[in-house]
Amino acid sequence: MMSLTLEQLDRDGAIREAVEKASGDTRAAFLGKAVVGGAALLGALAAPGSGEAATAKSDVAILNYALTLEYLQASFYTEAERLGAIKGKLAPIPPQLGAVERAHVQAIKAALGRAAVKRPAFDFHGVTENNSKFLKTAVAFEDLGTAAYKAQAARIKSPALLAAAISIHSVEARHAAWMRFLAGAVPAASAFDEGKPISQVRAIVASTHFVAARPKSRSRKKPKFTG
Amino acid sequence: MAFAAIAAAVIAVVVWPQSPASSPASNQPLGLPASPRPALLVPKPEPLSRSSALSYWASVRVAVAARSAPTPRAATVAWLARTTQDGTTNLVLVLDRRVDRRGRLWVHVRLPVLPNDLTAWVPRAALGVYGTVQTHLVVDLERLTVTLFRSGRPILRAPAGVGQPQSPTPKGSFYIRDVLTRYASPFYGPVAFGTSARSSVLTDWPGGGFIGIHGTDAPQLLPGRVSHGCIRLRNEDILRLRRLMPVGTPITIR
Repeated sequence: MMSLTLEQLDRDGAIREAVEKASGDTRAAFLGKAVVGGAALLGALAAPGSGEAATAKSDVAILNYALTLEYLQASFYTEAERLGAIKGKLAPIPPQLGAVERAHVQAIKAALGRAAVKRPAFDFHGVTENNSKFLKTAVAFEDLGTAAYKAQAARIKSPALLAAAISIHSVEARHAAWMRFLAGAVPAASAFDEGKPISQVRAIVASTHFVAARPKSRSRKKPKFTG
Repeated sequence: MAFAAIAAAVIAVVVWPQSPASSPASNQPLGLPASPRPALLVPKPEPLSRSSALSYWASVRVAVAARSAPTPRAATVAWLARTTQDGTTNLVLVLDRRVDRRGRLWVHVRLPVLPNDLTAWVPRAALGVYGTVQTHLVVDLERLTVTLFRSGRPILRAPAGVGQPQSPTPKGSFYIRDVLTRYASPFYGPVAFGTSARSSVLTDWPGGGFIGIHGTDAPQLLPGRVSHGCIRLRNEDILRLRRLMPVGTPITIR
């Protein structure tokens, strides 16, 4: 399969934006262009949110990174539930995990306030309509979420935010073990879990091709309808 | 013996809960500071709202042949392009899905082609983003009204202008494909929705004779049978509809 760049996949820039902030680079640096967008975005991310967590730029960036991954998970389970194509022993998974991931999104968005990144559009390429592909993707997403939270824990400055992140991380780990068990994999394969750095998470998310261009539904063209 | 006594004492200090009355620092055993309150309050997980009025649309990701059955050997019913004549992303309404003998997923969709009301099958691989709506627009050609429903409940009703007898508004099931705004044409009012419906009479009309739902510069003609097939609304009504009706909304014209 032809590999695509993140720029092609992430046309809205939401994942790139969150990942760059969390890794300490500006969007401008990432793109190699001297544009004011990066600085403006940094300013927006530094704006205080509604919660006490929004005190450090790096913490806001990590929250946005977490929010982007939660968007991915919540959208995946929600679409699977709405389409109703996941059957049998897996049928309870989309509603149960979807409700939890939506709660995570709600909490992180509330803490970020106006600094929250936008939800990207997702094209799950049919994996939300196929039992086997759905389960494999669920295992991958939950393992990824667990590893991503773990890798950021030591970088979080606010103890209150760290407490919140740990409370979400353990839920992601339970989900991961649950999905692994359903898939016939060892639920807890090692005695010591490694985190996944942002670059690795970015590469994995890009390789899924799930982040899509948002359909263009508006135009300023003069109508050609029959009138 | 001495070791056992020391161990018992340590265990007692660590695990024995201190009485609130006996210690002012009851929440801080061993003199440790209290844990910080989490910065986020994760709400109770809520299930999705159950609605029988949910409809699904999908964007067309690659140009594809729509077929009469969920198999690549079935006859081609129509070709679906990636974009509309308005330059927007082409959408189809999702009706059903099926897996063929080779494990390929096919989606049954409503098409924006003539003859009106046509449905066909396309491979899931040709489609992109899915969307959902809880709205449904009903156009009543007898009463000359449009009614927008959300989750089965009417939320907007307005008088409409519909097609004249020689260029009638087609009856059937359709959907909203896109929305046009900020163009310079008072005839169409401030907003025009593109639909999947097409005139079966004005087939050589520029753009293919698609039926729109739009405003007007002649509100005094409404309600009435005054158009070339389009559904005309007063400008204040089309602006309300713009706020309430998302792209992908199914339409019933009866």
